[in-house]
Amino acid sequence: MAAYLLHLAILAGIYIILTVSLNLIIGYAGQVSLGHAAFYGIGAYASALSALNLHFPFPAAAVSGMLVAGGCGLALGLPTLRLKEDYLAVVTLGFGVILGLVFLNLEITGGPDGLAGIPSPNFFGLSFRPASRYLIIVAVAVAFVLLLTYRLVDSYHGRALKAIRDHEITAQVMGINTPGYKILIFTLAAALAGLAGSLYAHYITFINPETFGLHTSILILAMVVLGGMGSLAGSVAGAVILTALPELLRQAHGYQDLVYGALLVGLLIWRPQGLLGRGKLSLKFLQREG
Amino acid sequence: MFWQQLFNGLTTGSVYALIALGYTMIYGILGLINFAQGEIYMFGAFVAVLLLATGQVNFFLAFALGMAAAAALGVVLERVAFRPLRGSHPLVPLISAIGASIFLQSLGLLLFGPEDRPFPVQFTFSTVTVAGVPISTLQMSILAAALGLAGLLVVFVRYTTYGKAIVACALDRDTARLMGINVDRMVALTFLIGSALSGAAGIMMAIYYNGTYPRMGLLPGLKAFSAAILGGVGNIPGAILGGLLLGVAESLGAAYLSSGYKDGIAFAILILVLLVRPQGLLKGRGD
Repeated sequence: MAAYLLHLAILAGIYIILTVSLNLIIGYAGQVSLGHAAFYGIGAYASALSALNLHFPFPAAAVSGMLVAGGCGLALGLPTLRLKEDYLAVVTLGFGVILGLVFLNLEITGGPDGLAGIPSPNFFGLSFRPASRYLIIVAVAVAFVLLLTYRLVDSYHGRALKAIRDHEITAQVMGINTPGYKILIFTLAAALAGLAGSLYAHYITFINPETFGLHTSILILAMVVLGGMGSLAGSVAGAVILTALPELLRQAHGYQDLVYGALLVGLLIWRPQGLLGRGKLSLKFLQREG
Repeated sequence: MFWQQLFNGLTTGSVYALIALGYTMIYGILGLINFAQGEIYMFGAFVAVLLLATGQVNFFLAFALGMAAAAALGVVLERVAFRPLRGSHPLVPLISAIGASIFLQSLGLLLFGPEDRPFPVQFTFSTVTVAGVPISTLQMSILAAALGLAGLLVVFVRYTTYGKAIVACALDRDTARLMGINVDRMVALTFLIGSALSGAAGIMMAIYYNGTYPRMGLLPGLKAFSAAILGGVGNIPGAILGGLLLGVAESLGAAYLSSGYKDGIAFAILILVLLVRPQGLLKGRGD
C-alpha cells in the first residue's frame, strides 16, 4: 500500500508539472494546446534515447529532453501563434497525431514496442531506482517548476502576458510584443512538458507511443480546467485530484473519459473559474469584450 | 494505378467535404470549432447500422433515420454545451466542444461496445471501366450522393429564405437580429443541417470501409476540419473543394510517399496552409 501511494505521488508530481505548464499556455497566454502530451512524449523519447545511446547521465538527459521538446514547441509555435487562438488547438491536435505516427514508424524509437531498459538516475553510486528516492527527484523538479512559474507570472513578463490574455489589441498598443510573448511562453511550456516526460521515462524505465496520445492531452486539459485556468495552486489541486480519482473509482473503469468529458462541459457552464480560480478576476477574463 | 488512386481519393474526399461543410457553417455563424462533429458522424453511422441489423427497416429509411438522429444530437449538443457559453471568451466554448467530443466518444463506447461492426447489408457492386480505369460503382454512388447533398446545401443557402437568414447571421449577428431574424433558431438550424450532413457522411464511410466503431469519427473529423481551413473556413464551396483536394492528397501520398504516415498528411497540409495562406484557397471569414 505504501509503495502504491509512493507511485501515485510520483505520478501526481509529473502531472503537476504538465498541468502547470499547460496552464501557462491556457491561463496566461489565452491559447489552447491539444498536443501537450506530444511534448511530454518528445521529452521522454529524447531523454531516454540520449541516456541509452549516448550514455548521458540523468541530469544531462533531462536537459536534452527539455531542449528538444522546447525546440519543437518553438518550431510549431512560430508559424501558428500569429493566427487566431482556435487554429492552435487544431494544429497542436494534428501535431500530436503526426508525432504519434512518427514514434510508431521510426526505427530509433522502437516502433509500437517502444523503448525498454531506460536507466534509472544514479548519483555518485547511489541509485535512485527505489520509488522513495525517486520521489525526491520529482519533488525537487516540481519545486523548481512551481518557483519558476510563480516568479514568472508575478514579474513584468507575467503582467505583460496577462495583458495579452485580457485584451490583445490594447496590449499591443501599449508596446507589448504580443506574438513574441506567446511564442516564448509556448516554448517554455513545451520544455517543461519535456522535463515531465524525462521524469516519467527514467521512472517507469519503459516507454511506448500509447502513453503520449490524445487521451493524455485531454486529461491534462481537464486538470487545468478543474483547478482553474490561470491559477497555479489550482493546477496543483487539479493534477492531484485527477491522479487520485481514477484510483478511487477503480470499479468505474471505462467511465473515466465519460467523467472527464462531462466534467469539462459542466465546469465551464457552472464554475468556469475552476476550483481555485480567483472568482472575479477569472470570470472577468472569461467575458468577451464588446 | 494513378487514376485508381485519384478516384479513391475523390471518394473519401467527398465524404470529408460533407463533414467539412458542417464545420465551416458552424464556424461561420458562431466562430466555434465544433470538435464533436466527428462523434456526430459516428452516431449517425451507428443508428443506421443498428436499425439495419434488426432486418425490419429498408436501407433508405435507415439512412434517413441515421441522418435525423445525427441532426437531433447536433441540436441537443448546441443547446446543452454551447448556448449557455455564448458570449464568453472564445477559449471557453472550444474547451466545452472538446469535452463534449470526449463525452460522446466514451458514451458510444459504453452503448455500442468497442468491437468493429460490419455493415449489415451486403451490396453487390460491379466494376465499370471508364477510359481504361476500373471504377467500382460503390465509389461512384458515394461520390454522387455526397456531391448531391453538398449541392443541395449550396442551393439551400443561396436561394431559400432560411438559407439567406443563416448567411445574414454569419455576417453580423446583431444586425440580423435587428432585421427580425431569430438568431437562436438559425444557429440551431445550422447545427441541424451540419450534423445531418455529418451523419450521412458517417453512414457512407461505414458502407465504404464496412466498419463502424466508437472512435471512427476522430480522424475523419479532424481531417475534415483541415479541409475546411484549406478551402477557407466559413466558405461553403471552399469546404467542398478542400475536402476533395485533401482526400486526393491523402490517397496519392499514401500510394507514392509512405502509407505509414497516411493519417499525418492532412495535418501536414493544414500546417502548410496556415503558414502560406491562412485565409484558405477560396477566401474564408477566418482571418
